[in-house]
Amino acid sequence: MTDTVKKRLIKFLVSLIIFGIAILIIVYNLRDNIVYFYSPSEIIENNQTGSQIVRLGGLVESESVMSDGDSIFHFKITDGQEQISVKYQGILPNLFAEEKGVVVEGIYMNDGRFIANKVLAKHDENYMPPEVIKSLKETGKWQE
Amino acid sequence: MSLAINYIANSLLILCLVTSIIQSRFLFRIQNYNLLSISQISAIQFLSILVSFVILIFLFITSDFNFDLVYFHSHSEKPLIYKLSGVWGNHEGSMLLWILILVLFNFLFSLSKSSSQKFKEITVAVQSLMIFGFVLFLLVLSNPFNINNENFSDGLGLNPILQDPLLAIHPPILYIGYVGFSLIFSLSITGLLTSEVDKKWATIAKPWVFAAWSFLTAGIALGSYWAYYELGWGGYWFWDPVENASLMPWLSATALIHCVVVLQRKNTMQSWTMVLAILTFSLSLAGTFLVRSGVLNSVHTFASDPGRGLFILIFLFIILSSSFILFALKSEKIDKPSSHNISSRNTGIMVNNWLLISILIVVFLGTMYPLATDLLYNQSLTVGPQYYAMSITPIIILFLFFMILSPQLSWGESKLLKILNEMRYILVSCLTITFLTTLYHDLFNITEILIILLSLILIMSSLSSGLNFKSTKVIVKSNFGQSMAHAGFGIFMLAVVSNAVYSQEKIYDAKVGSKLQLDKYIFDFKNIEQEEKVNFNSIKAYLSLSKSGKDLGEFTPEIRFYSDPPTITSETSIIHQFFSDVYVVMNVPQNQESISLRLHIKPFMNILWLGVVMIILGGIITAILNRNNYRENEIN
Repeated sequence: MTDTVKKRLIKFLVSLIIFGIAILIIVYNLRDNIVYFYSPSEIIENNQTGSQIVRLGGLVESESVMSDGDSIFHFKITDGQEQISVKYQGILPNLFAEEKGVVVEGIYMNDGRFIANKVLAKHDENYMPPEVIKSLKETGKWQE
Repeated sequence: MSLAINYIANSLLILCLVTSIIQSRFLFRIQNYNLLSISQISAIQFLSILVSFVILIFLFITSDFNFDLVYFHSHSEKPLIYKLSGVWGNHEGSMLLWILILVLFNFLFSLSKSSSQKFKEITVAVQSLMIFGFVLFLLVLSNPFNINNENFSDGLGLNPILQDPLLAIHPPILYIGYVGFSLIFSLSITGLLTSEVDKKWATIAKPWVFAAWSFLTAGIALGSYWAYYELGWGGYWFWDPVENASLMPWLSATALIHCVVVLQRKNTMQSWTMVLAILTFSLSLAGTFLVRSGVLNSVHTFASDPGRGLFILIFLFIILSSSFILFALKSEKIDKPSSHNISSRNTGIMVNNWLLISILIVVFLGTMYPLATDLLYNQSLTVGPQYYAMSITPIIILFLFFMILSPQLSWGESKLLKILNEMRYILVSCLTITFLTTLYHDLFNITEILIILLSLILIMSSLSSGLNFKSTKVIVKSNFGQSMAHAGFGIFMLAVVSNAVYSQEKIYDAKVGSKLQLDKYIFDFKNIEQEEKVNFNSIKAYLSLSKSGKDLGEFTPEIRFYSDPPTITSETSIIHQFFSDVYVVMNVPQNQESISLRLHIKPFMNILWLGVVMIILGGIITAILNRNNYRENEIN
């Protein structure tokens, strides 16, 4: 092996090791910060209660939105099969409406309620969150 | 009439297609066509696209709904500026704008006198080959001049959230950045083909690469500023896939501009510069088109329009594979043996190149991981902003350290002790400031303190290296652009950290006449009014802001109900003060008695934007002042 080849090989190996460690740290970090998405049926099936923050998406059930002042809202999210009661304190997005698609982020409690800290709906009126479309298609509730 | 316009516009596009084939002849060593010079043919390419673009603008302004594009994206009642921005507020129109900038760069380069005739011929040929590909795509798969046979009386309108003066200029600026890198890509391919990647190459490429980078930075900043005041979420960066798609080429371009400087000075890092040039352009392409075609947002939109997405993927694949094959064949030839000292500036720049690429990998994984799990496991998930913060923070700390160190190192050999000695005043003063700050404000944690300290040192050392303070006169040095951009980055980081720590928000259910409080600010909720405007109805709230008895101005947050297309938007109301922005967002009223208001205090926002403006100006100054005056200690 000539000197230059040796040098290159060492250079290559060192950068490979550094690179590998960096990727490992990143992926480890990534796994810790993933927020999973569930439909109401899936969240009941998986029984995802506890402290982990998850997203829940579906349609806002008609006549389920109630407000008890101080910007606290209660509503139900459905995928046509199951429904989950959601409690949320904060400003509802402009596009939030009954029988429209919605995604909430928060914690699914042991008593079957969902405490949301975020309500996401950030696109135009026709926009349905892709995850919601998917879960509605799976339960056969999707209408083109 | 419409048919005639359709005919003319398509003929112009075909003219551009034909001239692009003629221009690319140099790649195939066909030289016997000499009727017109390169720059004359480039002028034809440019004019044909320019005229067709003007025709499209004309169609939008006159609201000719016989054209599909106008029908779907405009409305006769829309204000003029949004009719104009409607031209590029959609896929086909933005494609035409993209091509317009592509031919503009080609034309400008064909006029430049910095390169040899042969070099220019091949560069223009590569660029024209790309123009050919994109114009073909436009004609076949996304023609902006398609006409319909119905007589629509009015159009469907433009999404009101996009009806914003800032968003009207955001795409053109961003595109100039993206497309600017197409020229750098063509220059790199030419350099590889002719095996001429050296100081001369870097001197030719430098103004273009700095100009493209400045525009890209400005484009991203405009998008971020728009998100800050229009979306009303209190943030300026959300690690959204669309934002990430523009950040990735920026990171790689930032590494590239530094490599071009090293190449110009030291004639080394040839192949790495080529890799970055190819990477930056590929990411720019992916950035524009994958966002536009919806691949990044969701996999489902992709399936609904396979033609476009597929074309872009194929185009990307051809560009990537052919350029990397070329690179593999030629990289041995272009690399010159270099012997530089480990303590030279090259090392510092190289380390920061790697750090930038690491951030790029973090962003790439975070953006692609949800796509991959959705495709492979049918599992939808999101990557939280925490991931980016946690992964990038340690890299940024190292990055700031080397950003301080590298400019202090000379291009030859440097002594670390000597540098420490030269920087002693800066180091001592910055340590004192940071110490005093943390003494009085115990909100900061250790990483934040470290970033503040490093940013302060960076600001001071950059400014002192770019300006020469001699008695009463201040002399601007040749590296002024660099030091300005670096100081700007320090200011930006300082503002980012302080903003994150000191931001406050509170939500109130308020009645008219009530007084709300956040920190030391008093918000007096005075009135609420309904109004009818030209293309929307609005509900406006009036609040006055005061702090310790002093009146600071009035807020008018607003909810707008648009009818075409039916959409509700909320208009944030911001009062800018020097050190902090105070802002109010209002909720769609759910009942008659009270209304939800969200109050934000956002400190240091002005300073954050100041930092960004300095970074952009630094880039522009470097692009213009492409001089070669070496400082004494930098002569090899």
